[in-house]
Amino acid sequence: MNDESKPTVEAYKQYIESEDFHAYKCVDCGAVIAPPSGTCYACGSNKMEWTTVKGTGKLVAFTVIHIAPEAFKAEAPYYVGIIELDEGTRITGRLKGFDTNHPEEVSLGSRVVLDYEHGESGNTYLAFRPE
Amino acid sequence: MPLNNTNIVSGAQTKFGALKGISLREMFAEAVDKATADAGIPKEDIQAAFIGTFIPEMLVHQGHTAPLLLDFAGLKGIPATRHEAACASGATALRAGIMAIESGLYDTVLVAGAEKMTSVSTNKVTEALAAAADDDFESAVGLTFPGVFGMAAVAHMDKYGTTEEDMARVAVKAHKNGAKNPLAQFQKEITLEKAMTPRYIAWPLKLFDCSPISDGAAALVLTSNEKAKEYTDLPVKIVGTGQASASMNLCDRDQLASFEASVKASRAAYEMAGLSPKDMDFAVVHDCFTIAEIIASEDIGFFEPGTGAKAVEDGITAMDGDKPINPMGGLKAVGHPVGATGVKQAVVIYRELIGDAGANQIPKHDVGLMHNFGGTGATCVVNIMRRSDA
Ligand SMILES: [Zn+2]
Repeated sequence: MNDESKPTVEAYKQYIESEDFHAYKCVDCGAVIAPPSGTCYACGSNKMEWTTVKGTGKLVAFTVIHIAPEAFKAEAPYYVGIIELDEGTRITGRLKGFDTNHPEEVSLGSRVVLDYEHGESGNTYLAFRPE
Repeated sequence: MPLNNTNIVSGAQTKFGALKGISLREMFAEAVDKATADAGIPKEDIQAAFIGTFIPEMLVHQGHTAPLLLDFAGLKGIPATRHEAACASGATALRAGIMAIESGLYDTVLVAGAEKMTSVSTNKVTEALAAAADDDFESAVGLTFPGVFGMAAVAHMDKYGTTEEDMARVAVKAHKNGAKNPLAQFQKEITLEKAMTPRYIAWPLKLFDCSPISDGAAALVLTSNEKAKEYTDLPVKIVGTGQASASMNLCDRDQLASFEASVKASRAAYEMAGLSPKDMDFAVVHDCFTIAEIIASEDIGFFEPGTGAKAVEDGITAMDGDKPINPMGGLKAVGHPVGATGVKQAVVIYRELIGDAGANQIPKHDVGLMHNFGGTGATCVVNIMRRSDA
């Protein structure tokens, strides 16, 4: 994929599928944005380019899904969390390496690092595991 | 300036629950008949209709529901528009009705909502509800609707020390009120121990923290000051309305222990009505999950952030408390047929205000607030209503 091309949602999803996560970056103010937005939350610009991220961040919220939608049924129970990347943007992904029987032991603010998970649904998910 | 021309002159709902053998159009027609002909309002007087349905495309394989439902209910021919804003579909339909009356375009309109949810599997319903979140970035990793509120609960617990038991108390209160309501899906009280049964749906939310999957419909007739007198001596005036949106993705919000659209919509409604939270006698809030009621009670300004759980524990939100919340049982006990919910909330306020809430009647009932909330909180509508003689 061409890094110079204007970012699109489809290409963003394709990067995740290829385990090569890329975020949007505002050309005007440099804010890192993921998931994609057509407009920069910081400055209102609509000029975006691709950027890569360190992949490290902290856990902001999480849940363990026990009753899943049809497509994810075979994977339940699984963690979904919101992670604040060190670049400042917050993103939703799966959590790996946490015991689904003991969510009470997971602390908000925990350091996590970007990884991927292959679902039984055939898709690759953005995931995070303990740093 | 307060709204000054919109009156509710009738309101009704079907029983909510698993209405086996009753289709979407049949339950819709039942609610409409109760709110029109049975209430002494001729159907010929209805000039337009605003209909809330969320996702009949996935639940009963039916789109274009407004004309279909109106035709079956004997209202063919008038302008009929369907409004969709996930769980706030009903209240956005109501707002369209309010605007139609306030603008002077119509004198009398129907606002109604319906959803048929129990004819497909729980996993299929979960999938349909998940469509109210961002499909590309939230639903794609398997986040569900209960999961969204599970994360809000985790944030609230972390920030304010709210506990699973605090949330369970909301369920106990809902069931206590619902036990008196013959139209409720669950008409049985539950103990705190039962509410704490560890059957997790999306940790930390358990089975009894979640509103059920329901069928049902609700309908209201709105009319101008001049026409209102023809139908009733005791109309209810809608004096303030507010609506706000927020990012679809929960991760794009700075704050997870509060819903910014609820704060904005309620402030707009208070400002329009020229009233404040202390003027409200009670509220009907969107308790799709127990934690949602706790957060909503804070977001609408009834209680300081972080004190909503304590208000439940102290009985302040009970039917006989200082600020009753969901006195007829809420979504939790009455049921949550998504498109009907916002309309049903207005029906509840109407019935409480005119003193027609039967065993669920609260003692002080001059002014009430309804809070209807869509999806991950990306849409919120708040309406403030006052009995015309109050
Ligand atoms: Zn920018």
